[in-house]
Amino acid sequence: MKNKRFAIVLDTRKCIDCKACTVACKAENNVPLGRDNYRNWVDQGEVRGTYPHLGQTFTPGQCMHCANAPCDHVCPTGATGVNADGIVTVEEKKCIGCKYCMTACPYNARYYNEEIEAVDKCTFCAHRVYQGRLPACVETCPTKVRVFGDLNDTCSEVSLLVAKYPHRVVKPEMGTKPYLYYII
Amino acid sequence: MSGPTEKKLSRRRFLGLSSCALATVTVGSQVKVLRALAKTGEVGEPTTLPTKDIFTSCGMCVNKCGVIARVRDGVIFKLDPNPNFVKSRAMLCARGNSGTKVVYDPDRLKYPLIRVGKRGEGKWRRASWEEALDLVAKNMNEIGEKYTRAGMMFASTEGTFQEHFFLQLAECYGSPNTLRHPSLCLSSNIQGFGATYGTNPTPDVLNADYIIMSGANRSEALITPDSIDMLKGDGGRRKLIYLDPRFTKTAAKADEWYPIKPGTDMAFILAMINVIVNEGLHARDFIKTQTVGFDQLIPHIAPYTPEWASAECDIPAADIRRIAREFAAAAPKAVYYQGRRSSFFANDTQMRRAMAILNAVIGNWDVKGGLVPNSSIKLTAHEYIAPWYDDVPMRLEDGAVAYLAEKDGSWPLFRDRVLEGKPYPVKGMMIYKQNVVSSVPNRAKTLKMMDQMDFICTIDITMSDTAWLSDVVLPEATYLERQDPLEGLGGLVPVVAFRQPCIEAMFESKPNLWIMQQIAKRLGDEVYEQFDFTIDEHIHHQVKNNPKILEDLKSKGVYLESEEPVYGKTFGKKLKTKSGKIEIYSEKYAEKGLDPLPVYQSPTAVPGGKYRLVVGRHAYFTHGTTANVSYLHDIMPTNTLWLNPVEAQRLGLKNGQMVRVKSSVGEEQLALEVTQKIRPDTVYMAHGFGVISKGLTNIYGKGGCDAALIEENTCPISGNVAMHETFVEIFPA
Repeated sequence: MKNKRFAIVLDTRKCIDCKACTVACKAENNVPLGRDNYRNWVDQGEVRGTYPHLGQTFTPGQCMHCANAPCDHVCPTGATGVNADGIVTVEEKKCIGCKYCMTACPYNARYYNEEIEAVDKCTFCAHRVYQGRLPACVETCPTKVRVFGDLNDTCSEVSLLVAKYPHRVVKPEMGTKPYLYYII
Repeated sequence: MSGPTEKKLSRRRFLGLSSCALATVTVGSQVKVLRALAKTGEVGEPTTLPTKDIFTSCGMCVNKCGVIARVRDGVIFKLDPNPNFVKSRAMLCARGNSGTKVVYDPDRLKYPLIRVGKRGEGKWRRASWEEALDLVAKNMNEIGEKYTRAGMMFASTEGTFQEHFFLQLAECYGSPNTLRHPSLCLSSNIQGFGATYGTNPTPDVLNADYIIMSGANRSEALITPDSIDMLKGDGGRRKLIYLDPRFTKTAAKADEWYPIKPGTDMAFILAMINVIVNEGLHARDFIKTQTVGFDQLIPHIAPYTPEWASAECDIPAADIRRIAREFAAAAPKAVYYQGRRSSFFANDTQMRRAMAILNAVIGNWDVKGGLVPNSSIKLTAHEYIAPWYDDVPMRLEDGAVAYLAEKDGSWPLFRDRVLEGKPYPVKGMMIYKQNVVSSVPNRAKTLKMMDQMDFICTIDITMSDTAWLSDVVLPEATYLERQDPLEGLGGLVPVVAFRQPCIEAMFESKPNLWIMQQIAKRLGDEVYEQFDFTIDEHIHHQVKNNPKILEDLKSKGVYLESEEPVYGKTFGKKLKTKSGKIEIYSEKYAEKGLDPLPVYQSPTAVPGGKYRLVVGRHAYFTHGTTANVSYLHDIMPTNTLWLNPVEAQRLGLKNGQMVRVKSSVGEEQLALEVTQKIRPDTVYMAHGFGVISKGLTNIYGKGGCDAALIEENTCPISGNVAMHETFVEIFPA
């Protein structure tokens, strides 16, 4: 979409690792069954501390729709592309299944979909977003961990959140410029 | 470890993936259509194909969240949350999202089945409905003749909005022996809070500033809206204190977690009352005008000091004192959250009484942020007249406990009497949805009981362990394939929910009402007369006085009268207690020879060399029935036994090692999970695994069964089972 830059802002304080986002995504996007096939995930962090003083953080993840996407740089056929709004895509018919992109991705965000014979990953549910709806993971989340929106709109909720709160991205040192912002 | 937990791609797996055989396309038509579209449409800008959107209610757990089913070409493509459904805060959890895999489950029951071979062999022949129903009615009539109608027992549970038709059949058939789930769950809570307040109220979590949850693992045992509301929003003031022998996901979210010694919650609560009363932090005026029995409470709690309690519950005295002060300071927007399941210890009813009293002394009754009695929306009741049978005795376990719920009964006490054959024999079982083999503690006893039956019929949607051991299995249509009656969901913001069929019922599955009517036909005119109506007539009768209910359900998927709770409904009115007030001291209990104020007793100490087994929940499973659903199975394919690392080291056991777990009633085998997230004297395993049924192809052979290990202690007041009083030994397998 023109003039938009999509992003998701996450508040992991609210994440209860219920896995709703992973099932909603699978159902919405025809992801095949099996524990190797996911477009998104929730990382159950290591337990911190020593009993009985413990802590644990749950961190959802998926394709980061990077502005400087390594997958885009390495794809030999141009199957991987980046939309003007930042959504990183895979054109199924061009994918030859070489999986170079899968090794290039520092987030392990891609998996190989045997059913469509192409690499697959989160698309920010572009098919929903372009119809004015939210990505399935965002809509379903029981505790409203995720906020989706357009960073080019200074009044959008995502813009307000990243302005107000210090935030981080995963593996900033890789220079990928990811668009999943974690405020906690 | 793969799965939705983390993404690790080893080089070996990377290569292995490319040599995988092509998997079969599961929901064929969608994929083909979408691929075609991707080829012709613009890359990255595919459009969504049009769908038929149908409002309905989820059927995967007790919450009944509003759902919009997206149906495309006669196939349910996706289940989305209904944004109008206030109670669910417009969300849908992992189970709700997996409903399509319940409908399109290769394992689902398709046709009536009649057993050939021995019970439990799993040999079936497909039968016509005609034949199966004839056989069911024949056996019901024979058992009724031979043993009186009380010779048939009817086990069922809620959720389908059609359970009451099953209970109606039981009543019209003439059996008093209905057994439901509350004695496996919340009977003690209903009893303890009911004895105090005349009702079991709902905590106003959204508006509470201070919440103490003991044993209610709300981040995994999802209850809407509590599981959502309890988390601090932006600028939120809510403090959450969480007591649990396990560091659950709720513990990870809570402000403070204490690994309380199991069975000592009452000590903690009584000590809190002790501090609040002794320091004059109680709500004096409220207590004076709205309660009875405070004068008796004062001397009663004198010995229950924080120092005393600390030795019992392993929570430091200074923390107990501080929490009590913080709790009172936040009052009335402070709540000791009673949760739902109260199947922990045999003293659960009295422990819940203590919880109720603690809430009462800070005066949080029927106000914002406190404990609020439920509201409900009136639907016109379905009426019928059950035929009268002269010779039918009282229900089998009548009198076995002080307060036995008439329709719900008490599972373990009922079962014991069946096994004894006293006061009279029970020889037939009709089961609707309830997975008794998996849900009732001491599975070996349940199997023995079923062995004694002349006839067992189960109505279900999958080959649960209970269906597996039956003589006749009848396939019910799933919740996405039925027109269900309306059901009022009571609470702080009551709603009415319903279901509409999203697709036609697959194979030969039928809604329960149809099954009940067919059986009723075969039991005689007197019985069938009471079932002679269509589901549409039933629904229209329900909304006779308010047709807007149905209109709203069809147009918005929910009916509600207010989006905000109403507080203070009971002010100036009498409560449903003997005195009409909140009963801190229970005359009712005193008259029955029960402690009128909760008296603490230490739980049995964990014997040397053994561990206490506790049970609990995960947000991706509902009780014993959903572990086989493919989307959910992928999240957690098996269960493990949680053991603290200190103990694992002592026993010389390693993480991932297969172990044998043995109690006085059974032995199971499963993998060990060594984790700090549990007290050293306690072990835990998830429910729903170690199944007997080979008809559950994803999970058969995986994990261990908790019901096979748990002894069936029972609360003598409510008949609620007590599932945390079992001690186990662990051996390498």
